[in-house]
Amino acid sequence: MFFDLIQNTLDGLAMGSSYALLAVGFTLIFGVLRRVNLSYGPAIMFGGYCATWVHLNFQAGLLALAIITIAGAVLAGAYVERLCFAPHRQGSAIAAMVASFALWMQFEEAVTLVMPSHVYDFPAMYDGPPFEFGSLTLRMEALVMLACAVAISYGLHRVLSGSRFGLAVRAVIDSPVAAQLAGIDVPRVLLQVFLLASSIGGLAGYLIVSTHTQITPMLGMWSTLKGLLAMMIGGLGSLPGAVAGGLVLGVLEAHSQWFLGPQSRDLLAFLLLFGLLAVRPYGLWRASSAEAEA
Amino acid sequence: MSEYAIGVFTNIGLISFIALSAYLLLIAGEMSFGQQGFFGVGAYVAGVATAMYGIPLPVAALLAMAAGAAAAFLVGLPTLRLRGLYFAMATLAAAEMLRIVFELIHFQREVEGEPVGPDGTQGFRGIRWVFEAGIEPQDFLAIVWASLALALAMFVIVERSRLGATLRMLGEDPELARSLGIQVERFKLGIAAAAGALAGLGGALYAHHNTYIEPRNFDIMLGVHSLAYALIGGLGTVFGPLLGVLIDIGLLEGSRVFQGYRMIVFGGLVAVLLVFRPRGLLDERFVHRLRHRMFRQT
Repeated sequence: MFFDLIQNTLDGLAMGSSYALLAVGFTLIFGVLRRVNLSYGPAIMFGGYCATWVHLNFQAGLLALAIITIAGAVLAGAYVERLCFAPHRQGSAIAAMVASFALWMQFEEAVTLVMPSHVYDFPAMYDGPPFEFGSLTLRMEALVMLACAVAISYGLHRVLSGSRFGLAVRAVIDSPVAAQLAGIDVPRVLLQVFLLASSIGGLAGYLIVSTHTQITPMLGMWSTLKGLLAMMIGGLGSLPGAVAGGLVLGVLEAHSQWFLGPQSRDLLAFLLLFGLLAVRPYGLWRASSAEAEA
Repeated sequence: MSEYAIGVFTNIGLISFIALSAYLLLIAGEMSFGQQGFFGVGAYVAGVATAMYGIPLPVAALLAMAAGAAAAFLVGLPTLRLRGLYFAMATLAAAEMLRIVFELIHFQREVEGEPVGPDGTQGFRGIRWVFEAGIEPQDFLAIVWASLALALAMFVIVERSRLGATLRMLGEDPELARSLGIQVERFKLGIAAAAGALAGLGGALYAHHNTYIEPRNFDIMLGVHSLAYALIGGLGTVFGPLLGVLIDIGLLEGSRVFQGYRMIVFGGLVAVLLVFRPRGLLDERFVHRLRHRMFRQT
């Protein structure tokens, strides 16, 4: 029983690190653009399908597949940014969100037109046995994922706080108008942020599909929902919040699945989100009150 | 009319209810991702009433409206003070919770020797009241559109009244509304309940049209579609959401020209349209101009 609890927590942290990675990309877009990109997950799915297609038709190594997944997600992200976010930069957040949903429909239909099977196999990142500590096990992929989540959020923090690009990003967050007056090319910074977030999403996508060793069109909705949930739990626009939110969500899901079953697991995750919003609307780790005006 | 056309027009009518429900909240300044939950509540309540307890559909539809309104009221109570995205996420969470509850409900009863009722993920079969009452598909189409016309008429009356002006003011500038002595929270709760009732009625008719419902009918896809319909059709008039539904289900699905590519066409169309008209085809400015022109001519 006690070991089960620890094992569940480990499994939850493993799952949670994929949520954390998804949430980091999500929160980066939200923090800078103040817009929700519903196509975030579908763009990741698009990247995953590109890699799957290459895998089925050519011999490609793991690194190549990872790069193709990221490239596909970035390409799809650029399309989303140009069509849904650049035109609505000063306009309606609702219109941008609905437009990003419209492109989601496109991605989903496009991949099912080219690759109509419900499920495709995806090569595993690592074939060996899981690590064992006594009766506890931990999969290699989980460690890679957790390491990536921590490294990327830390790296991102360093970039945002220490580089010229980061300075520009922070200036745009503070005041797009002032940033423009100071000579910053605001639309370009926004596009770069979007592409950066998409590449993080692509990496998350590669790690997720190679851990599950399969890909389905559901990956799009799954990634958007999990990323959004983890981001909301952690507080919008906060990087450490996104990581913590992902891990909290993962551990909560693992335990509730063990004790109550998969449906109650999802029920509990949404209940947590609803309850948090009702009681503590700005996340566990409150960022700033200005973000309430999303 | 062919059987196929009847089916398409019935669907347009049914989906219009949830699009109107999303529209009502949008003009009051709230974006809900959760109207599909109340649509589902209406579908399940009405289905249980007619199929399990032999209650006639008109009464069941009223029950569904009451249930939809009550559910929307309860969801709105802790969430309506949230703004923008936060409200959208809270309503999404509520609707997903409702969907999972539908998956967990196993509530069956023997009717004429067979178990009838919601059976979790297996769905809810045999909602056959329309068939048993001898209502033909074209008669049901008439029922759907008559109910919709009634709802539209109420919208038109409200929009021309003081209440309608208040509604739009809430959407444009809640602070102004508050300073004019309007009880914003209470007003919005009323709007949320009305939108829930509208979705509940649509759900009741939907369940009886399809005779079979399952939890995933009421997933996030339906909710975001209803938002998209309201937004591409236009926020200027109540006929906007209808136009949105007509474009997607009528033109793209109904014509079958774009079969296999419908989502690609519809998705691209919506995204491009929103670039040029972020508040939809029939937006406020268009409606205003149209009214002005008609007024001058008469």
